[in-house]
Amino acid sequence: MNNWFRIAFQTMKDYYRTTIILAIFYMGMAAMYCGMFPSFKEVLEDMMASGGAEPFSQFFGPAAADMATYVGFLNLELYQIFWIVILGILLGFIAASQISKDIEGKTIDLLMSNPVSRKQIVIEKFIGLIPLVLILNFSTMLSVMGTTIAIGEKLNFGNLFLTHLVSIPYLLAVISIGILLSVLIDEKMKASIFFIALFMGMYVLESISKIIPDFESLGYVSITHYFNPYDSLKFGEVNAVNIIILTVIFLEVLLFAMLYFEKRDIKIS
Amino acid sequence: MDIIETKNLTKYYGKIRGIEDITLSVKKGEIFGFLGPNGAGKTTMIRTLLGFLKPTRGGAYLFGLNINEDGLEIKQDIGYIPGDLNLYGHLAGGQFLQYFTSLRSSDAYLLEELLTIFDVPLDRKIKGYSKGMKQKLGIIQAFMHDPELVIMDEPTSGLDPLLQQKFYDFLLKEKKKGKTMFLSSHILSEVDKICDRVGIVRDGRLVALENIDTLKDKKGKIIRLKLKEKPSSFKGPKNMKIRDGWIQFIATDNIDHWIKKMSKFTIIDLEISEFSLEDIFIHYYEGKR
Repeated sequence: MNNWFRIAFQTMKDYYRTTIILAIFYMGMAAMYCGMFPSFKEVLEDMMASGGAEPFSQFFGPAAADMATYVGFLNLELYQIFWIVILGILLGFIAASQISKDIEGKTIDLLMSNPVSRKQIVIEKFIGLIPLVLILNFSTMLSVMGTTIAIGEKLNFGNLFLTHLVSIPYLLAVISIGILLSVLIDEKMKASIFFIALFMGMYVLESISKIIPDFESLGYVSITHYFNPYDSLKFGEVNAVNIIILTVIFLEVLLFAMLYFEKRDIKIS
Repeated sequence: MDIIETKNLTKYYGKIRGIEDITLSVKKGEIFGFLGPNGAGKTTMIRTLLGFLKPTRGGAYLFGLNINEDGLEIKQDIGYIPGDLNLYGHLAGGQFLQYFTSLRSSDAYLLEELLTIFDVPLDRKIKGYSKGMKQKLGIIQAFMHDPELVIMDEPTSGLDPLLQQKFYDFLLKEKKKGKTMFLSSHILSEVDKICDRVGIVRDGRLVALENIDTLKDKKGKIIRLKLKEKPSSFKGPKNMKIRDGWIQFIATDNIDHWIKKMSKFTIIDLEISEFSLEDIFIHYYEGKR
């Protein structure tokens, strides 16, 4: 059948404006955080010297002790917050509306009257979001590079590239979870809000697991647990197991979404 | 081979009955009307046929292929107009048609012809379309790839009478080309004009399956009449009822006979109304259930 990727292509077209706006936003945020470092440097160094980083070290591990360095600062401010959490929420929010909005808006009837299988709809909606992920990912990387050069700081660009490379399985896992919710829940707002709740729930569990030693295993249920930008950014290290786990998550979740959507009744009210 | 064949097709939403035990077949080149009041199960029937809802029991075959197994193959040759038509508002009409043409991996053979009958502003975003324009676009997308079977859920809603007529003409032309059509409706006159056969559905069950001509014979007028004389002195048909001094009966044969009969009385008030579909249900099918 030669109608493959039409839905994916349409999804890309539908999101091109969102892609541009988010890319500009993220490039701006990245530039801002990088550019802020020189003025924070001394304050942070003083704080470190007086042991001010103690409270953070439980949470962010060895990365906290590194807060006064450029890499440490970027990790904490940009990657831990704006990348793992905020970008995760943004992408998941968008993904969770993919099929739910077709069901809620009743356009699913027309879409499914075409010779496209339900599995195809799910997978193509997923594929349609990949350019958004890649463009956001690498435009942010370029912004970090550019700003780093502009302010004259030192950063291993190889490690930076590696960090954004390992971001891909993480972000794909995030949108696959969003897509799953979009086939489970028929209202797009509900699906998106449910995603945020689920994501924050996972993040909180991971946070608890870091603070309370007995609860270490709690962290395993969170996808954020399998993505550590600090290791790749600072040392150029990548945990292969984490990559495999994230890849398995996104493949399994997507497969489950396809199978579930295939089986379910599409009711319109 | 029948284009549509259903056997005891049943769909329950939990405990709520959508349709039950619907067995019917539609031949090639036929326009089949699926009639029933709102909430009777027409949309459930259509959405089950298209595979959007999984049957609780029974089965259905389009072009001899099982709807649950060969959906993809079936849909190559199908057009569909949903009852609650919603289109992608953010696309322009032309973009939408282009998108759907590409999804069908087939040329839009009839696009030109359809656009001359149902002109829509292709450059404008669908968001800005009126209800009628959207319906026209819905018709265009259903027919543009020249499918063998078109399934329509109340396709004329939102069309003005002139466009309705154009639409009927178009359907009859497609029928001549050997295309098959299945349409749901609650408007008897519409079914009268274009359908060869009708199935009447009530509370999810098929209560009648007839040729349109047979059904037409059952058509009639409701006559309500108030006389100066005693109502019982008027000898009406068997179905005559007297209520609050009004005489009411259904004239299934020609009304001329009754008018002449009435003229012998002094008429205070008289109402003659079209026998609605609902009346047909009540009058002819109530007892058969």
